[in-house]
Amino acid sequence: MKRILIWVLIILLAAAALISCIRKDIPEDTGFINIKNQDSEISEHPQPNKNITLNGVDYLQSQAPVGIFGGEMVISTIGEGPKTFNPCNTKDATSATMAGLMYDGLLTTDSYTGEVIPQLAKSFEIKGNNYIINLRHGIKWTDGEPITADDVIYTYEDIVFKGLGNTAAKDAMTIRGKLPELKKTDDYTVQFTTPEPFAPFLRQLTYPIVPKHIYKKYSDKGDSVFSAFMNPNTPPNKIVSNGAFKLKEYVAAQRVVFVKNPDYYKINTENQKLPYLDKLVYLIVGDTNNEILKFEAKETDMLGLRGSNVARYKIKENNSDYKIYNLGADTGTLFLVINLNNQKNSDGKWNVEPKKQKWFQNRDFRAAVDWAIDREGMVKNIAQGVAKPLYTAESLNSIYLNKYIKGHPQDKNVSKESLKKAGFELKNGILYDSSGNRVEFDLYTNAGALERESIGVMIKQDLEDLGMKVNFKPIEFNSLVNKLSNTNDWDMAIMGLTGSPLEPHDGKNVWTSKGSLHLFNMGSGYNQKSIYPWEKELDEIFEEGALKLSFKDRKPLYDRYQTIIYNEKPIIYLYSPLRITAIRKKFKNIYPAPLSGLVHNLDEIYIEEKK
Amino acid sequence: MEFIKFIFKRILQTIPLLVIVSLISFFIIRLSPIDPLAELRLNPSISQETLDKEVRRLNLDKPIFIQYVSWAKSFVKGDLGYTSSGEKVSTKLKERIPNTLLLTTVVILMTWSAGIPIGILAAYKKESAFDRILTILSSIGMAIPSFFFAILMLIFAVKTGWFPVGGLTSYNFNEMNFAGKIIDIVRHIALPAIVLFTVSLSGLQRQMRANMLEVLDSDYIKFARAKGLNESEVVFKHALRNAVNPMITLLGFEFAGLLSGAALTEYVFQYPGLGRLILEAVMKSDINLVMASLMMGTIMLIAGNLLADILLMITDPRIRNRG
Repeated sequence: MKRILIWVLIILLAAAALISCIRKDIPEDTGFINIKNQDSEISEHPQPNKNITLNGVDYLQSQAPVGIFGGEMVISTIGEGPKTFNPCNTKDATSATMAGLMYDGLLTTDSYTGEVIPQLAKSFEIKGNNYIINLRHGIKWTDGEPITADDVIYTYEDIVFKGLGNTAAKDAMTIRGKLPELKKTDDYTVQFTTPEPFAPFLRQLTYPIVPKHIYKKYSDKGDSVFSAFMNPNTPPNKIVSNGAFKLKEYVAAQRVVFVKNPDYYKINTENQKLPYLDKLVYLIVGDTNNEILKFEAKETDMLGLRGSNVARYKIKENNSDYKIYNLGADTGTLFLVINLNNQKNSDGKWNVEPKKQKWFQNRDFRAAVDWAIDREGMVKNIAQGVAKPLYTAESLNSIYLNKYIKGHPQDKNVSKESLKKAGFELKNGILYDSSGNRVEFDLYTNAGALERESIGVMIKQDLEDLGMKVNFKPIEFNSLVNKLSNTNDWDMAIMGLTGSPLEPHDGKNVWTSKGSLHLFNMGSGYNQKSIYPWEKELDEIFEEGALKLSFKDRKPLYDRYQTIIYNEKPIIYLYSPLRITAIRKKFKNIYPAPLSGLVHNLDEIYIEEKK
Repeated sequence: MEFIKFIFKRILQTIPLLVIVSLISFFIIRLSPIDPLAELRLNPSISQETLDKEVRRLNLDKPIFIQYVSWAKSFVKGDLGYTSSGEKVSTKLKERIPNTLLLTTVVILMTWSAGIPIGILAAYKKESAFDRILTILSSIGMAIPSFFFAILMLIFAVKTGWFPVGGLTSYNFNEMNFAGKIIDIVRHIALPAIVLFTVSLSGLQRQMRANMLEVLDSDYIKFARAKGLNESEVVFKHALRNAVNPMITLLGFEFAGLLSGAALTEYVFQYPGLGRLILEAVMKSDINLVMASLMMGTIMLIAGNLLADILLMITDPRIRNRG
């Protein structure tokens, strides 16, 4: 009797403990409703920068309010930290961000409008196929040498056109196998001539310009020497750059410290040299949990928020020292991709079993899958409301977004109809194809990505309601990529890719039939029997779109490509998370821009003095 | 002479061991379906040309056996090769080894200088209140998983603000004076050290207690006591010397764990040590880095055992004579 009493007591205690845990873990849902209702809040941003000449130096004048000099900002970056400081050799986001701080290009992208505007160049003119770039007089590298047309010519001719480092820029500048020509008019004028009109070309002039007198020694020795040049262990005082910040210190797996470039060519309206901040610190952290802890411990000043965290931080915002900004939909896309491959691998085996090929290649089957997916449910349950459903191949903040594609809610009856139309038969809740095979396939995603795993579970349930059998298999990220891009032996996968909100041509590796990321029908461009008519049309659209110069001429083409993807559904888009970022209130001159983020104007941000 | 011959024999024995370990691990890593270029492949702006260039640079276009031979050749020459991101493996390891050594040596010093006396005392005062409390504490210490304890410590650091959250140095470390630098490192290292200390202390002092109990129970101790020796002489001169033998073998293993033993804790605390580096390397199948660290681990294990054997020969005349 006594023993039973003790057990009852223990169980009661455990239950009480569990209940209190549960209560603690469910955030009150007042928070995210706020965030959802306010559309991306864009405060008024300052006037565009002006050019101003003082004592023979062509400065760029920021029109943002004048701030206070000094102070530092600490930001975290997830992963292993930068792999190189060579701006011509960056292949990952962290290295690119850091090289971007240190090196400016001739032109840059306006953070608010997405237009191409002068940066290192003072101005530019376009005359037919000729692009004339006027450089600033009197601006210098961090070692005091002047920046001239020679550096520009060197950067393009010796690095980009020779394919040193990351060859993405060379690819993007190659027009029907030909590269543009460069001509030095005088020390401060350069002219590019493209073989034919080529729309994405202007944006390629944002490529970072590097100092000829430092880089030439290494670029002359070929790619292997050049790739190792400026690795993270290079002594910071040997790095000569031209950006707003220069490298001060790199400590492996801990941090990268930048200090302001005292010779930067940007000034404020009182003609004082920017940037305001003395120091910019990137802490290298291994994962999101650590990033959050560091923000909570006030070791970092900025934090990107996702899902359930948004509500928690929003509730605490009023009594805290940070402010939360909503930057609108992410440029990344999450999608379900279906393998339309009908080729054999080198061992003579089918990449996809023939019976499955019949299903996947049937448009009605793909439509059935699409209609069964509950995007609203995903937004609500997986992204905690901090996302928007996505139906298009271009991301929601893209300037080329096809606004006529409205999407549709989940409707399993439509799915069932289209399965019936495609000859499938539902018997006792099990779906069979016209030859009597049970519909069963694998669905992959990368293990460890909680968001994608949850999506997988939801999709599996919805498709099983249609009578399909889905084997959901989260596998290691690298193995998944190997399947998708090399071995092609998969059925369906949940993946994500980053996109460019400004230039749809950047997606050509995904959409053109010979692209290296043409996931849904890899290599179809090399085999006439594998390519679909609509894939041929996509090829044409991407070729034509690049040759048209004005936005007005290009928009209908890229609208058409999104319509094709939406109708043919080789890739079924799911949702786009919203980018919510918290930053300490002490930072001023914060002008969030959906295209480029919260701190795109690091040279203008300053710290308000403590009251 | 006997001594040198013994050491020489042991070193010769390691060669086939190293070959076997390297063969097995190389093939397992390479045959796993991990693509070292996965991240690049998924980046829409990376061209096929860049990818092909990377494949050639990493030798991925050659058969596995040839890859192994070329790796082994340069390894024998002392060249550890390059990581998949193009940095020298040796510099990468050099960056991290001192950090890990700092943490593990501090922990080993702390555990051994606390564990041995506590173990002796617990054995001596067997069944006393002190011993019982210690038993409970060490059960807790052994039962709690180190990563979980590490997370609890991190939460503690965030809530109190007394300790920094992970890392080894503050970002303004270079502007500090010497004393400031030392305090900064101590503050950073305190929490991971406490975690590792607690976990290994419980095991160590239990082990010491058990050894000591066994010896204290033996006939020759009874005889020593009967002879009328005072207690301290019985314990330290007769019991301790015999009880410490198994501990020396343990010390050999501790030596092997110097570079790899703290991996999990390092990861949770974002400590810039080898553990984090190697874990990330395995995930990406960064073959040269993984192989270098595996070889290092093997060599450390062999060296640790050798060290323990030598120490045993010094302390234990029975082994020496058999030698």
